[in-house]
Amino acid sequence: MKIEKPGLTLYGLCIVMALLASAALLLGVAVSSILLLLLIYAALAYSINFITGMMGYVDFGHVLFMAIGSYALATLVSYYGANPLLGVGLGALLGLVFALGIGLVILRFRGVYFAIATVVLVLAAYNIVLQFPQLGAGGEIIFNLTFQPLATYFTIWTIVLIEIVLTYYVNRSRIGFGIRAIKNEEDAASSVGVSPRTLKLTGYMLGGLFGGAAGAVYAWSISGVTAGPAFDFTFSLLMLAMIIIGGVGTSIGPLLGAVVVYIPSYFLLTTVAQAQPLMIGLLVIIMALFLPDGIVGLLRRSNQRLRLVLE
Amino acid sequence: MQAKPRRLATRTTAIIVIVIVALVVASGGGVYYYVNYVARPPCASAPSGNIKVGFTISLTGTYNVEGGKSLAGIQAAASWINDNGGVTVNGKARNITLDYYDDQSSSTLVPQLYTKIITQDCAQFLLAPYSSGLTGAAAPLAEQYNRVMLSHGGSSDTIWTHGYQNVFGVLSPASTYFKNAIDWLVANNHSGDKLAILHADDTFSTAASAAAANYAAGLHLDVVYNDKYSATTQDLSTQLIAAKAAGAEDLLGGGHFDDGLKIVHQLSSVGWTPKFISLLVAVTEPEFQQQLGGAANLVTGPSQWETIVTYSPATAQAANIPWYGPNETQFVNYYSKQSNAGSPTYHSGEAGAAVVVLADAIQTAKSTDTTNVRQAISNMHIMTFFGQFKVDATGKQSGHSMVLVQWQSGGLAVVAPDAVASGTVKYPYTGS
Amino acid sequence: MVAAELIVTDLAFGLMLGCVFSVVAHGLNMIWGVVKVVNIAHGEFIMLGAYGAYFLNLFAGLTPLETAPVDAAIGLLVGYAFYYAFLHRELRNKETITLQSEMVTLAATFGLSLFVSNLAIILFTGNPVGVNYNPGTLQFGYVRVPLAALYVAILSVLIIMGTWLFLERTFIGSAIRAYAQDVTATELVGANPAKVASLATALGFAVTMAGGALLTVWIPVGINPLMGALYAPISFVIVVLGGPGKMWGSLVGGLTLGVVIDLLQAFTTAQIAYAAAFLILIPVLVFRPEGLLK
Repeated sequence: MKIEKPGLTLYGLCIVMALLASAALLLGVAVSSILLLLLIYAALAYSINFITGMMGYVDFGHVLFMAIGSYALATLVSYYGANPLLGVGLGALLGLVFALGIGLVILRFRGVYFAIATVVLVLAAYNIVLQFPQLGAGGEIIFNLTFQPLATYFTIWTIVLIEIVLTYYVNRSRIGFGIRAIKNEEDAASSVGVSPRTLKLTGYMLGGLFGGAAGAVYAWSISGVTAGPAFDFTFSLLMLAMIIIGGVGTSIGPLLGAVVVYIPSYFLLTTVAQAQPLMIGLLVIIMALFLPDGIVGLLRRSNQRLRLVLE
Repeated sequence: MQAKPRRLATRTTAIIVIVIVALVVASGGGVYYYVNYVARPPCASAPSGNIKVGFTISLTGTYNVEGGKSLAGIQAAASWINDNGGVTVNGKARNITLDYYDDQSSSTLVPQLYTKIITQDCAQFLLAPYSSGLTGAAAPLAEQYNRVMLSHGGSSDTIWTHGYQNVFGVLSPASTYFKNAIDWLVANNHSGDKLAILHADDTFSTAASAAAANYAAGLHLDVVYNDKYSATTQDLSTQLIAAKAAGAEDLLGGGHFDDGLKIVHQLSSVGWTPKFISLLVAVTEPEFQQQLGGAANLVTGPSQWETIVTYSPATAQAANIPWYGPNETQFVNYYSKQSNAGSPTYHSGEAGAAVVVLADAIQTAKSTDTTNVRQAISNMHIMTFFGQFKVDATGKQSGHSMVLVQWQSGGLAVVAPDAVASGTVKYPYTGS
Repeated sequence: MVAAELIVTDLAFGLMLGCVFSVVAHGLNMIWGVVKVVNIAHGEFIMLGAYGAYFLNLFAGLTPLETAPVDAAIGLLVGYAFYYAFLHRELRNKETITLQSEMVTLAATFGLSLFVSNLAIILFTGNPVGVNYNPGTLQFGYVRVPLAALYVAILSVLIIMGTWLFLERTFIGSAIRAYAQDVTATELVGANPAKVASLATALGFAVTMAGGALLTVWIPVGINPLMGALYAPISFVIVVLGGPGKMWGSLVGGLTLGVVIDLLQAFTTAQIAYAAAFLILIPVLVFRPEGLLK
């Protein structure tokens, strides 16, 4: 069988990514430092999209993988003086390994039980990290790497690009059909010839992998990690809000969501700090109740041509 | 929702895998190149007008009490300097402008805000946020972007163990906070008292309490209980009961403002009246006494600075140290002009001192260049209204000294060391 | 003897803390058990209840015990509004809640939690406040107990007992129980399912907000807009421990958590105590998904 030719969505996303790459090279540090955080948010949104977006497992604790990535990079760079790229690799790997271990247990729970399990794991992990002097014991692990704006920028850029390509193909492939089937009925998922359990674990591990990688780049960009912010639920909530607003499970939704959530927040943060989360909250409520497919769903319904093109 | 499933051909899968691997390798190489690429720092062409000092401060959230006092102190010092000739660089007087945002006491927001302050607002110099935790999150950015940062509210000794070049403390480090209290106990024949130490688990409180335990042990005091609690702990009765049961007579510890309130509040509910209480940070705030009333009476606490303790140009001359900045009266005067400032506390003093020290360093360096100002601060030894300023090789404050204060019938008295004391310690604590 | 005294005292404090945890989680339990919806914004309504106690104390001088009924009355109204705004569309004409609806309610209440907590920061500022209520202490043998905590513990148990009696002994109560078992059965009993479900939700909110008021006794300086982020997860754990829908389950879950936290704190560190308290949830879900009770 032949795979369908890549659609406009993928080309469009690639053009956006090319623009983002040239923006950083041409417009200087002032702009790229804003875009860097946008890309980190996009990377996080795509990573949770594999879990909540595709499988419908609402994950409130995805910040756990981000924290794992952050600590992996910080420890490696701070204590062993390693190249931060290795740190990102280790962050991704540990994200994957932890996702495997955690997923084996908590993917057995369905719906709200899964959601609650993810919450308590983050709280427990935070309290456990505080116990270890090697992990800063609640303090910070810091490294001095001087100023490397382009290095961090292109690392996260690459991660987002890989996530986009992967999301796009998973969505179109048979495996992707199976993963998406989990959202409605787990038994239907087995029709693709792979057990739902393996499919779920695959989705969860992809989420962990990219969550870890994004967390590592975040730690790199702020030159360290501190227990409090590393396990801050704000990140979890923002990721979730991004995909709900953008369009769960789609290839373009997470990026759209990241833009909608992050860009206003950047400007509101220093003026009316609470206006942004307030607005996000309201948007999430509206999307959840009335537009379950987010902005992507809205666009698709509004226009026949968009319906065929947007994925 | 989506088109019907399609099986990925093996060839296609292989292509995808190859594409991804190629992407990783190519960008890995590219990034590796950029890791060693020294980017032009943002805002490299320094504006020649005002000197922009950027910082975040906690105006809401846990640290709002301390943050509000600090901000007013910074503003008071900056406006005194601007009214008194500004900062002279190469014969040209330049004013200080402040560029600050509310960080909501959140260390998650701090890196984001400092990145903005440095890259978008082009602040030339930085002040740290209030508290050791937030300073810990901000300091790496001062290094990353090569900006001098003065810490006025972060005293944890660990800040100066990371080898920072650009981060300097204005206030005495956390490890010295309980020194006066323990010295007083020893000097006044209470060294037989059994001590309990109970503190919050943030970096500052941990550093202060660990140093207290060491110092007490060195003086042969008996520390019978030593424990920390996490920010999630709502009930401290377990810890206080255990401390009492261990036979403790005196209590040292605490954390920030809320912790102090919580501990004193719960002491009465578990029915323990220690003979001597010394708590971090909270005690010096007038709100401490307002909220606790009688229970606050005779509680002691370390303070970086009190308005009663005066350092003046005359003291500086006697000690043969140069003086710079407003004197005590002028500072208090300018402070009272700030909106909603109340009366200045040591958080106001230390924050104001940071601006004064920075201005003097820029004048000494005759430049706004980071390297020169850093050099100037490292070599500085001056006195301001806040006391002496001198940093050691790591940037940690070594010149400044602290005092011990005690609430006595509704007023705050400086009770140690004797040289600056306005009263004597009243012992024992009675709980009312 | 010192060690025994310590354990007994810790146990007493743990039990009292457990009681207030139970009542805080009880509202969630009622909603979860009856309409099968988990309100992610649960913590935010605890927070609103606590602020209710704070403001009524500030302006009317009421103690947290006296504010609890006021909060409960407000909670009833909020609960009805919540049901019709968030749940009615998803629940009406359905016999069981579908996974799709479950996800919708999770996402919508998650949005609500963001909205309410940030609105609270704007309205109340982020500064922590507290209610000063200290009626003294009582000596039981060698255990000295703060009266405020004791009153709250007793009231908590009474509230839980009240809801149990209501469900067991009244006609509306049996309709609610019927709804929890099988939505169509509600109609057989002769009640309108939407009315029953909205009443159950409203009752849940009333208990939640009253619980928030009672909680203020334990947090002398801890009322702040973000406190929900701690009490929501605690409530989730308690309800799962006890088993959703079992009225006494809240008490079992709450007491377990309170005692585990206070006793572990005494022997290890506060961090380990909290980590353990949260992690209990996982083995319970794996081995006894229906909860500890029966």
